[in-house]
Amino acid sequence: MNNIIANILRFVLLLVVQITICQHISLFGYMSPALFLFALFLLPLEMPLSLQYIIGFATGFVVDAFAHTLGVSCFACTAMMFVRPYVVKFLNGSNNNNMYENIDRPVPGAKDFRWILFYTLILTFIYEILAVLLGTMTFKNFGHTMLVILGNTVFTVFVILCVEYIFHPRVKKE
Amino acid sequence: MNNLIEFFKRAFHIIVLAVLLILSVAMLGKSLSFNEYRLARVVQGIVGPIQKAGSGMVHRFRLGPENEALVQQNIELMREKENMFIEKEDTILTEMSKPDSTNRKQVRLYDYTYAHVIFRTVDRAFNYMIVDKGSDDGITRDMAVLSPAGVAGVVTDISPNFATVRPILHPETRISAVVVPANQNGTVIWEDNDPEVAYLEAIPQHSEINIGDSVFTNGYSNIFPKGLLIGTVKEVQVGNNASFLTIKVKLATKYTDIYTVYLVENLFKSELDTLKAKFKDE
Repeated sequence: MNNIIANILRFVLLLVVQITICQHISLFGYMSPALFLFALFLLPLEMPLSLQYIIGFATGFVVDAFAHTLGVSCFACTAMMFVRPYVVKFLNGSNNNNMYENIDRPVPGAKDFRWILFYTLILTFIYEILAVLLGTMTFKNFGHTMLVILGNTVFTVFVILCVEYIFHPRVKKE
Repeated sequence: MNNLIEFFKRAFHIIVLAVLLILSVAMLGKSLSFNEYRLARVVQGIVGPIQKAGSGMVHRFRLGPENEALVQQNIELMREKENMFIEKEDTILTEMSKPDSTNRKQVRLYDYTYAHVIFRTVDRAFNYMIVDKGSDDGITRDMAVLSPAGVAGVVTDISPNFATVRPILHPETRISAVVVPANQNGTVIWEDNDPEVAYLEAIPQHSEINIGDSVFTNGYSNIFPKGLLIGTVKEVQVGNNASFLTIKVKLATKYTDIYTVYLVENLFKSELDTLKAKFKDE
């Protein structure tokens, strides 16, 4: 129950920050962070998949509504939520058959930095590829599009990791 | 049948996924075409007011720089006004080189700059203001000071970074003025310790002055350019002195909330002053 409230609050807070601040940032003219992805990353993995997709879609819709890009984030978020379990499985190693083993949530306390970094990086990259390509809807000037994708990814990962390690400062015990 | 239900249970999330993705693509397709799409309008109807409120809040923080830009723009425009120039005969040479033009040329007489009031009094018998520019910024004594609404005062003293301004609200202030449409010249003075009202003196009794007539500078002083608003006539009385009217003028400048002021420099001030000084000596 606590977990649900915490998740809802996180969604609201991050969406507000995304809409009011992050959406208006464009570092060097093209890098803007998608901080709201953080809320999706922290969703419990044992949640029903269909619910995860719907949450992803709804989150994307809110972001789209304020960015006047209906459909772009919806698609990218839903697709990202679809890919998420497979990324987790991949990061846990192929020899591990039970992909949810030992995972409460994909947070620093449960996982080491490397795992968190790649988890964030891969999912952000997938989201940005879809969002930027759907947003531009063209393969013209692909170098610049790629630059935007990479820039956004790096910036987003950086911001998310900062936020993550500020608010979950637990060091892994070992 | 059981198999079918079992299949749906297992494939449910895939169906949800497919539906959501198709929905996204549908929205995407529509929003790329014209704005005819209903959903886009509905969303805009909900989101629009929120964004407007938000941008209003953000805008407040940007008012400072925007004001500066507008002040600059104002100065650019005010510099081009007719009363900034005097006409002179051009040399015969330019007339020959440009046969179409008349041999009149406009010579700039006044130039503008701006400053901010950082201190001011309005409730004393001898009021003054201090502005945030001084001799280092090219401010000189006797520059005219204008508020956005009209005449505000004259620079009386300068230090490297600041300048003292004597507003109209000072017993020593004398501004030669013309009241329109009667076209009578007079002098604006200040007596009553009322920050909103001054007097217009030396208007002959026969002139027709109505309440609401405008009082402008007439440009005789070489401090104020011609045609700047000082105020409007508030009250007309036949005074004790039989030959002149007593006219109360409601000042255009609101001294209680003055912040940005424009300073006017007469570019030929020293030349004109030399002439005037000679006249005094005789």
